[in-house]
Amino acid sequence: MNIEKLKEIVRTVLPSVDVVIGYKKGLDALHPVPCFVTSPDEIDALVLNPACTHNLAAYLPSLKKKTAVVVKGCESRTVVQLVQEGLIKRENVVVIGVPCQGVLSARKVLNAINHQPVVEAAFENDAVIVKTRKAETRLALNDVASDKCLTCQYPTPVLSDHLAGEQVESKVDEQAAYQDIRQFDAQSLEERRAYWLKEFDRCIRCYACRNACPMCVCRESCIAETRDPHWMSQKATLNEKMMFHMIHAIHLAGRCTECGECERACPMGIPVAKLKKKINMEMKELFGYEPGISIDDKPPMYTFKVEEEKIEEHKIR
Amino acid sequence: MRVGVFICHCGNNIAGTVDVARAAEETAKLPHVVYSTHYMYTCSEPGQDEIKQAIKRENLDRVVVAACSPRMHELTFRRTVEKAGLNRYFFEMANIREHISWIGENKELNTNKAIEAVRMAVEKVIRDKPLHSTAFKINKRVLVIGAGVAGMQSALDCADGGLDVVLVEKSPAIGGMMARLDKTFPTIDCSICILGPKMVDVAQHEHISLHAYSEIEEIKGYVGNYQVKVRKKTPYVDWTKCTGCGECMEKCPTKNAYDRFNFGVAPTRAINIPFPQAIPKKATIDAQYCRQIQKGKCGVCAKVCRANAINFELPDQFVTEEVGAIIVASGYGLIDQELLPEYGGGRYPDVITGIQYERLLNASGPTSGHIQRPSDGTEPKSIVFVSCAGSRDKSIGIPYCSNFCCMYIAKQAILTKDHIPDSQSYVFYMDIRATGKGYDEFTRRAQEDYGAKYIRGRVSRIYPKGKKMIVQGADTLLGAKVEVEADLVVLATAATAAPGAAALAEKLHISYDTHGFYVESHPKLRPVETNTAGVYLAGAAQGPKDIPASVGQGSAAAAKVLALFSRDMLESDPAIARVNQNACVGCLKCVKTCPFQAIKEQELRGGEVVASVIETICAGCGVCTSTCPCGAIQLQHFTDNQLLAEVNSLCLS
Repeated sequence: MNIEKLKEIVRTVLPSVDVVIGYKKGLDALHPVPCFVTSPDEIDALVLNPACTHNLAAYLPSLKKKTAVVVKGCESRTVVQLVQEGLIKRENVVVIGVPCQGVLSARKVLNAINHQPVVEAAFENDAVIVKTRKAETRLALNDVASDKCLTCQYPTPVLSDHLAGEQVESKVDEQAAYQDIRQFDAQSLEERRAYWLKEFDRCIRCYACRNACPMCVCRESCIAETRDPHWMSQKATLNEKMMFHMIHAIHLAGRCTECGECERACPMGIPVAKLKKKINMEMKELFGYEPGISIDDKPPMYTFKVEEEKIEEHKIR
Repeated sequence: MRVGVFICHCGNNIAGTVDVARAAEETAKLPHVVYSTHYMYTCSEPGQDEIKQAIKRENLDRVVVAACSPRMHELTFRRTVEKAGLNRYFFEMANIREHISWIGENKELNTNKAIEAVRMAVEKVIRDKPLHSTAFKINKRVLVIGAGVAGMQSALDCADGGLDVVLVEKSPAIGGMMARLDKTFPTIDCSICILGPKMVDVAQHEHISLHAYSEIEEIKGYVGNYQVKVRKKTPYVDWTKCTGCGECMEKCPTKNAYDRFNFGVAPTRAINIPFPQAIPKKATIDAQYCRQIQKGKCGVCAKVCRANAINFELPDQFVTEEVGAIIVASGYGLIDQELLPEYGGGRYPDVITGIQYERLLNASGPTSGHIQRPSDGTEPKSIVFVSCAGSRDKSIGIPYCSNFCCMYIAKQAILTKDHIPDSQSYVFYMDIRATGKGYDEFTRRAQEDYGAKYIRGRVSRIYPKGKKMIVQGADTLLGAKVEVEADLVVLATAATAAPGAAALAEKLHISYDTHGFYVESHPKLRPVETNTAGVYLAGAAQGPKDIPASVGQGSAAAAKVLALFSRDMLESDPAIARVNQNACVGCLKCVKTCPFQAIKEQELRGGEVVASVIETICAGCGVCTSTCPCGAIQLQHFTDNQLLAEVNSLCLS
């Protein structure tokens, strides 16, 4: 993650766009925040390190401006998917790609340092050194990386107009990409049900997962809130919570780019990204399709084929 | 709201297993229901009168009828409530017959279920909105796909009725399968002699425009206003110049081209006119075999053609025809012998198919009507016919009867005796299906007057032995194995859907069954209609059938079109998709998934792009509503709220 290279790119790109979206320092070194650069003197405030976790592509659909956006591998897939779905126009976006070795899970780091206030953090290739008032802790990146990064297949952006850094190869081979899901699936139906009931019971229906999701497009007609049609009640029952999460996951079938924002945003630490990854696995096995890889792809859930290759419907000579 | 509920006994169909009196009593207690009653036959005239009177007397503004399937009588009752002054969409039908009384025996449970079905319908009906149809003009031209006997009959009947007809035929000449037949059962009259004049009528009719050697590329539009793009495949011959003299065919040096018309009984030339009576009588080059097209060397036909009609560069051409209705008479196909390995799978020259034998019998066929063994050209003396070669055979996925084989085998046995008086025919059959007028007498004639030996049983194996073919089978009447030494074996290969039938159905938006045959709207009462308005079926495309049935259906389909066109305006169905443009995010996934191209993008004044439904094209299928991520498209009369209310009412019980 080369900040100097990034700044150089932003400097050249800025005159041709209305705004560049990147990261700047937030409340502490572990929590950089999105920053909207519109003039050259703001460029020096930019930061870039494994704590920069936000999916900045999520801002694109609502911005009616020519925008340059800093994206890592998974987030570049979001851009591709948004263009493919017609939610943004390719010509209105300049993609500044950042090859990525994985980002931090702030939750994991804070757990590791016992939730002490962070004074300073330094980043090395495969480690992060976190300084609190009492101690300095060196944490291996692998131990505190976001779950999504542990099986990441696209560390280098799949689409970029400018690339800030050298290409990075995936450390996980394709077969292992869904290993976590397969392991989970190996449990019995009762076990899995019990797991999800327990997880969803914690949901407070704050919709942070939905609001963070770059692919959630329904705005005020979201099933969770609309009263016309009146799909769900406001009751905080387990049934309603479960229903909401299931619908959210199904709405992302063939669309989720696995940026993990839903899970990061959840204040209750519910592993909601797991559901979406499971559906992505099914999509890949059944239709050989991964969302957000190519703008010209025809998403299987939005196309009609008389015969699907892997679904035997009717055989006609 | 004042809802009236009418529960039908349907004689004993419903009342036999549903306590209709209790159902009426219970449903009267539902919210909004002010009147509930039961009646012997609600669809009868007094039954409908009862509804009309109740609407007036009880001041009803919504009506629920609990009776049969809405496919049966929804329209009937919509008209009834409309006559009584309500909007026709202020009506719901609860299907308590097909869904309840016919499938359950427990009267108490059935009654409970019927009450729930009515409750769902009430929840829906109180949310129904008034809908109004709009009228649009009809284009009174008709497209007929396929110029076999069924299609030609449709075309002629429509044209005689004064309609302009566009007739599209896939092959270079019209006539279809019937043009290939020698004689026809049960009268043994010459097939081309009765078909020929019809073909000439088609060619000469002022109201028929023929596109031979053409296929349907694309169909857009809706009943009354279809736009059909026709691909006129290139024959590499300028048909406006070709005189059909046949000189090119004589001089063509390629002598091994596959003869599609004669089903490969003998080879033909790369440029050919399929048969002497062909209409249009124009030459076509088979590019696969043409030396000029394949290797760039030859051009003999171009040199000999006095009309200068040969053009190796001629591309496919496209014409767009605007029509108001479509008759599909795309015919049938035959299975490949490869599917029958036990009968040689096509490896033995002296095991041929029924249609090939037909070409051997035919005076204008490759052998000029002399029956010759394909292997050595000798006259066969012992001929075995195998019926059900593939038909009624679940193991190869053809469980159905091919309908006409029993009869044509009998005919071929009779003709064989006529051609070769000292010959002996054997017919292996499973059952003789001769149900038409004069058919059974005909098969008896084959046996009794022409000495064909009918053996009831299936053939297990056919193999060569010297110059003969050995046919092994069982005689199930004797309970013994039989072996016949044959000079020639004729397989009555199973009829299938025409090649490409499924693809054509997709373009037409009509349904087809697992075998590729097109599905009629109702097996008894709407046999030539499809579920797509304005598209009708004729002939074997709907299922294997013989000539009289095909002709009958051809005329029936034409009558349907004439009836449709007897009006000047049609009414559109208002139960179609509508876009709430405030909720639409402009992703236009609906545009991509709509099978009818009924949704277009529309730019609002602010520059925002949203979806918009073209009313007349939308068929109300609902694909867009399930595609729309934010529920911005709603199918009128089936909105999310209406369906949800039904589901909720069911879940509350």
